[in-house]
Amino acid sequence: MAAKPLHEIGPAAPSAQSTAIGFALALAAGWCGPAGIIWAGEENVFSEEGAPYAPGLAQFGLDPERLIVVRAAKGEEALWAAEQGLALAGAVVVCVLSNHGRALTLKATRRLLLIAERHRSRCLLVRSLNEASAAWTRWRVQSAPSQAEARELGPPAFDVELVRNRAGPAGARFIVEWNADEHSLSERVAGDYLAAAVDRSLAPRRARA
Amino acid sequence: MPRLSTDRLLRAGRAPDDRPLAVYAKDAGAFVLTGVDQRASALGLKRAMSLADARAIYPSLNALEAAPDEDARTLDAIAAWCERFTPVVVIDAPDGLFLDIAGCAHLFGGEAALRDQIVARLAAHGFTARAALAPTPGAAWALARYESGKRNAGGIARALSPLPVEALRLDEEAASLLRRLGLKTIGQLYDAPRSAFTARAGERAMLRLDQALGRAAEALTPRRPAPPVFALKRFLEPVFTTDHMLEATRDLCADALVDVERRGGGVRHAVLHLFGVDGRDRLIEVGVSRPERSAAALVRLFREKLAQAAENLNAEFGIEAARLDITLLQRIDATPRDLVAGGGAHASAADVAAMIDLVSARLGAKRVLRAKLNAVHAPERAGAWRAALSNADAKTPQLAIAPAEVQRRPLTLFARPQPIEAMATVPDGPPIRFRWRRVLREVARAEGPERISGDWMRAECARDYYRIEDTQGRRYWVYREGFYGEDAAPRWFVHGLFA
Repeated sequence: MAAKPLHEIGPAAPSAQSTAIGFALALAAGWCGPAGIIWAGEENVFSEEGAPYAPGLAQFGLDPERLIVVRAAKGEEALWAAEQGLALAGAVVVCVLSNHGRALTLKATRRLLLIAERHRSRCLLVRSLNEASAAWTRWRVQSAPSQAEARELGPPAFDVELVRNRAGPAGARFIVEWNADEHSLSERVAGDYLAAAVDRSLAPRRARA
Repeated sequence: MPRLSTDRLLRAGRAPDDRPLAVYAKDAGAFVLTGVDQRASALGLKRAMSLADARAIYPSLNALEAAPDEDARTLDAIAAWCERFTPVVVIDAPDGLFLDIAGCAHLFGGEAALRDQIVARLAAHGFTARAALAPTPGAAWALARYESGKRNAGGIARALSPLPVEALRLDEEAASLLRRLGLKTIGQLYDAPRSAFTARAGERAMLRLDQALGRAAEALTPRRPAPPVFALKRFLEPVFTTDHMLEATRDLCADALVDVERRGGGVRHAVLHLFGVDGRDRLIEVGVSRPERSAAALVRLFREKLAQAAENLNAEFGIEAARLDITLLQRIDATPRDLVAGGGAHASAADVAAMIDLVSARLGAKRVLRAKLNAVHAPERAGAWRAALSNADAKTPQLAIAPAEVQRRPLTLFARPQPIEAMATVPDGPPIRFRWRRVLREVARAEGPERISGDWMRAECARDYYRIEDTQGRRYWVYREGFYGEDAAPRWFVHGLFA
């Protein structure tokens, strides 16, 4: 994914929107360079899913000093702000558009792709509509239940399915966990939690993310 | 504007008949005239005359009660209109204005031409004005009110000499002191021995004299703070299109930036005033996150704002003048801006700042944000957002409470915690199921409680926070306010969501 500039992430169900945003932020945190992350979203998504919360973002591995949040009133404005962010070389833009937003046409995604290619920046589009798009991949995301022992919550876990892939076959499905300290998404290994922990410490197996 | 109050009423059509008009107010139990129009003045009516005397002279006088607040509003509106001639306009209540025309007069054909233009245009709007040009505010005040209008070329001392001492803006006490001493004209004060004026009232009179003659400084407070740098442009013909306005803005930016550069600074904030033929002043503001020295960059921000404002300009009568105020200047440090070089694989901090400026200009500064972490426990106040534009140079404070100390916080927080219906098995335990957004959710895992005590100053209750995961793997940050067994049943809320 890191080699291509434009990807789409969609929630598997409307209730998974915050999980989809979380997955996009995890990818962005892993790629974040000196130019930082621009999170451009539509205001009604922020009111629906809550506003970005700096202490939580810091714990998630996003450096607050490198994050700029744009709360756009309309989808068109969020998209325009995303384009301006992509004009920064090396930047990572997370653009979150609402379900009803029709701003993102095929032409608009082509523009994003062109700008990102020209400036070697990267864009993660979060939208639920699965429509024609210039994005290299599209991922359908929902949360994956924790595997930790007892009643504890494990690291953030995502159940992701590659539903579209311009560069190869689609259909693969992974459960990936986010390690905020190492800034890495790794595939969760099957089996019980203890065995998984041992496995991971011996041979960390990275997902294609 | 000696007839401000009556001019206002006449202009508003509040005195429709052609009877002489006077305005009165209650003073020490008697009604006293505070303003008279031209016809009343021609009959010999004057300010400070009692209403009874005035009625005796002219029984059918149209006398209306004074409205000082409305007069003040009118004066302020006239002051705002005058800002098309200079950025420095001082309101001298109740009926005067000071205009500092330094650096502006050349655009209007010289000082005298500017003065005449202002008087003529105020007259066209229905306001009688008397104006005088002088090197000091005190002298201008005196000449505008007491001089007959002839031209003086002999310097201020000679011009002021024949005027009565009241022309020095004296209070009643100081004026009566001078009268008792037999000093009637300003000229007589020049030679009077200063040692005679030991009383406070006398000192005040001497200070006013020194201020009028320019021997003592006088600080006036302009209606708007005087910008450190400004550029003014007058159109020969009114302009209507944003293209023309932008062209003028380009000239103004170029002019102003020459001054800015001379001062060795950069622009942080600028305001473009577009003065309409209709008398209104339209303001367009831009902010820059880093000191900006390039006129082209400023023009780009103004172009964005003008495109946004095009519909709201209401410029159907045209714009007759424009002024650019550089309202905030900041020094530019000589040290390199950033370790990351621009044009390479990564954008420099300057590039990021330029992006912030542009997006803020179009969407509004309140929509482009950076994190602001605060060292407080209350979750709502621990993480705030500030306009990225406001102070991009300021370092974001580190999370003051070490991450290890605080338990995990959600990625997003609701502006208002959302109430949920929750069921708990043990009184002080986490919920086992809850209903949020009409969906019943079964809790699979829970961590907590983390007790966050409320701010007693804000009368907040203590909250017990839990991180819970439902059977689908979705994670919520919920809290209970209040405890079981208390008078009121505890209430549950969802405050945020985890990834």
